[in-house]
Amino acid sequence: MHSNTLDSSQIMRQVIYALIVGVSVSFYFFGWGILIQIVLAVIAAIVAESAFLKMRNYPIKSTISDGSAAVTGVLLAISIPSIAPWWVIVVGVFFAIIFGKQIYGGLGNNPFNPAMLGYAFLLISYPLHMTTWASEFVSIGSSLDSILNLSSVDTFTGATKLDEVRTQISLGTAIETLKPYSVSQAWINFGFLLGGLYLLMRKIIFWHIPVSFLSGIFLTSGVLFLMDDNAYFPPQLHLMLGATMLCAFFIATDPVSSSTTPNGRLIYGFLIGVLVVIIRVFGGYPDGVAFAVLLMNIAVPLIDSYTKPRVFGK
Amino acid sequence: MPTKSYNGGIVVPNLYRVESVGIITVSLPNKVVLPLNERVTDKAVPCVSVGERVLTGQVIATNKDYDSVPIHATISGQVTAIDDQLIAHKSGLKTRCITIQSDGKDEWIEQQDTIDNYLNLAPSVLINKIRQAGIVGMGGAGFPAHLKLGLLGLSNLCKTIIVNGTECEPGIMCDDALMQNYPEKIISGVEVMLHISGAERAIIAIENDKIDAHNALLQYISDERISTELIPTKYTSGSEKLLIKALLNKEIPSGGFAIDEGIVCQNVSTVSAIYDAVVDGKPLVSRIVTVTGSGVSSPDNYDVRLGSYFEHIVSLAKPSNEKHSIRMGGMMMGTDVATMSVPISKICNCIFVNNVAPKYDVKECIRCGSCNQVCPVDLLPQQLYWYSKSENTEKASDYNLLDCIECGCCSYVCPSHIPLVDYFSFAKALHRKNIEDKRRTDAARERFEYREFRLERNNKERTEMMEAKKKAIKEKMANEKGQKDKIAAAMDRVNKNKEDNAQ
Repeated sequence: MHSNTLDSSQIMRQVIYALIVGVSVSFYFFGWGILIQIVLAVIAAIVAESAFLKMRNYPIKSTISDGSAAVTGVLLAISIPSIAPWWVIVVGVFFAIIFGKQIYGGLGNNPFNPAMLGYAFLLISYPLHMTTWASEFVSIGSSLDSILNLSSVDTFTGATKLDEVRTQISLGTAIETLKPYSVSQAWINFGFLLGGLYLLMRKIIFWHIPVSFLSGIFLTSGVLFLMDDNAYFPPQLHLMLGATMLCAFFIATDPVSSSTTPNGRLIYGFLIGVLVVIIRVFGGYPDGVAFAVLLMNIAVPLIDSYTKPRVFGK
Repeated sequence: MPTKSYNGGIVVPNLYRVESVGIITVSLPNKVVLPLNERVTDKAVPCVSVGERVLTGQVIATNKDYDSVPIHATISGQVTAIDDQLIAHKSGLKTRCITIQSDGKDEWIEQQDTIDNYLNLAPSVLINKIRQAGIVGMGGAGFPAHLKLGLLGLSNLCKTIIVNGTECEPGIMCDDALMQNYPEKIISGVEVMLHISGAERAIIAIENDKIDAHNALLQYISDERISTELIPTKYTSGSEKLLIKALLNKEIPSGGFAIDEGIVCQNVSTVSAIYDAVVDGKPLVSRIVTVTGSGVSSPDNYDVRLGSYFEHIVSLAKPSNEKHSIRMGGMMMGTDVATMSVPISKICNCIFVNNVAPKYDVKECIRCGSCNQVCPVDLLPQQLYWYSKSENTEKASDYNLLDCIECGCCSYVCPSHIPLVDYFSFAKALHRKNIEDKRRTDAARERFEYREFRLERNNKERTEMMEAKKKAIKEKMANEKGQKDKIAAAMDRVNKNKEDNAQ
């Protein structure tokens, strides 16, 4: 006897559906790159997973069909710049699948979020490619040119808003004069927020991590902002910039590598939020999501063992 | 709508619900097979022999142990065998049974005296009647009814009686049928229990989808100590501790019993059997069984003699021609049985006949946490699974493995189709085995250590004794030596004197 609710592979498919809104918005602002990256990533993920499964003598078809490799690929593709060269995403996905997941025994056994491990690897190895973002809508031809390394792409690239703002602040520019709000970033975040609400509605993710993560971001950046509103940008900006919403609903909520107890999820999400702000404000990277998630992944066993729920009658 | 409940639990769509919940009285079976030990601890001794004629209701096996109940013939006829037969138990092992071939007459033993007014009788007398009638908990656990009541008769511990009118699992409707068809019996049975226990009140708990049963019962309640309570229809409400939580918001501690809080729970079927035993003087020879599942086209409730084979009633529910899987009890916690040629027991409330469905592919656990959301006792099945799979029973019991009630909610919702409960019951067995092994090795080690100690002590004692002896001998020798010296000295003196005298 089994319930008629979703099974694991249907869950993965729903996650991909939920990403559609955010990806569409991103497409609207920055063009074809993101779609090409997604296609490359999914192919790379399936190739990497199949190859490794074959080496491990595991059934390939039934494992690939669980969709988890594809989700890892898509999440990484969304996280990197849409005009990055093709080998960046391929190397990243291979690293994510092999060293992030398969090497620990495959789905369900990985202590780290594979997509974020891949992202961190790329950011450390290829910082230039990982920080050069499209600054306008890029046509399919130019996107291909850029991704396939056919021509220089300086005309339509720039740093992310977070990077730009931090640089300006470090140069002493006052926040008011910066206009740190980025329309495109805000809309993309809004798109992922909608997708996330869909996942919540379908009960594919629980509310604990998104809510605690967003409160972590809001409270930490709020405290900093109250301390000095000239040096730190306001909390609403943190919520609308970078990978905030993507992380809240799609990355921090990865069930395998996140805390599994209800209270543990609250702590886990909140601390990721705190770390994201700390890394964004005081760190040297454009966004803090990947490192915050990976750091908290390490803490998961500890959190879980201290947040066991009270058992009935005990 | 009531709001009282407990955490977790699942709502299962009742796929095989019938329109009107009736009871079909089944014709007499050709033979019945009655196991001598329905509970593991029971070991009833037959008091009839092969070839003997028995009457319906006659005691055919007795048990000296007060914890167990006698076994009655459920039809009249001839005892044809006392041998090992297959019963509906997950072990698949055979157990000693008495087989009775029906003579078709259903001739009863002389009815025991019916009681007009049981209020004049002492509780202990009534409790004994209940034991003699062979009544055990009919909700599924089979705990002897007189024990629950017996403890109370002696020491007015019971303040509240809870009558469990929730079906223990989705799909089962025998209790619903009983409440709708014999409400007066249940209410009278509750009054009997109130008299026996001296409890202040009795609450009949009914799920809120059984309004007809609720209304039927309400008509017969005249005693103000008896009340009814509607609780949400969700699975595991029938579990004793969770039902108490839902009704009274009291949590029976882990390892504790309901009676510690002054509560006794009985299933409605048991209550009805208690009525039969006390008021009509009738032993328990039949019960109502639900036959349902995807493999039968007309699911229904059957009033059937105990010891009839499953096939005796399954055939009446129009089974399909496909291959079936048979399950005794509910779909969640029931026991799979290999054949329909096993007898219906007192605890058999339902027979699930399902068309064999394709098996789900079991995938890896993704720690999604759906399981801990539905766990009615707030465990973390995803963590327990991890430790059970790796046979780390110590860590698993750290995560309260032993509090798992094996309700199966977690397996039911698992998106990876992992049979979680199977892992947990295995881990529990392993845990018990490990503890037993540890006890044994500890005992062996103690034995060994004591032996070592004893040998050493003996050695020491012996050496001490030897030494003492040596010393004694030495002393003696020394003394002897002294004597010799004295003698020698004396001799010397004598010789000296002689010499002196000679000079």
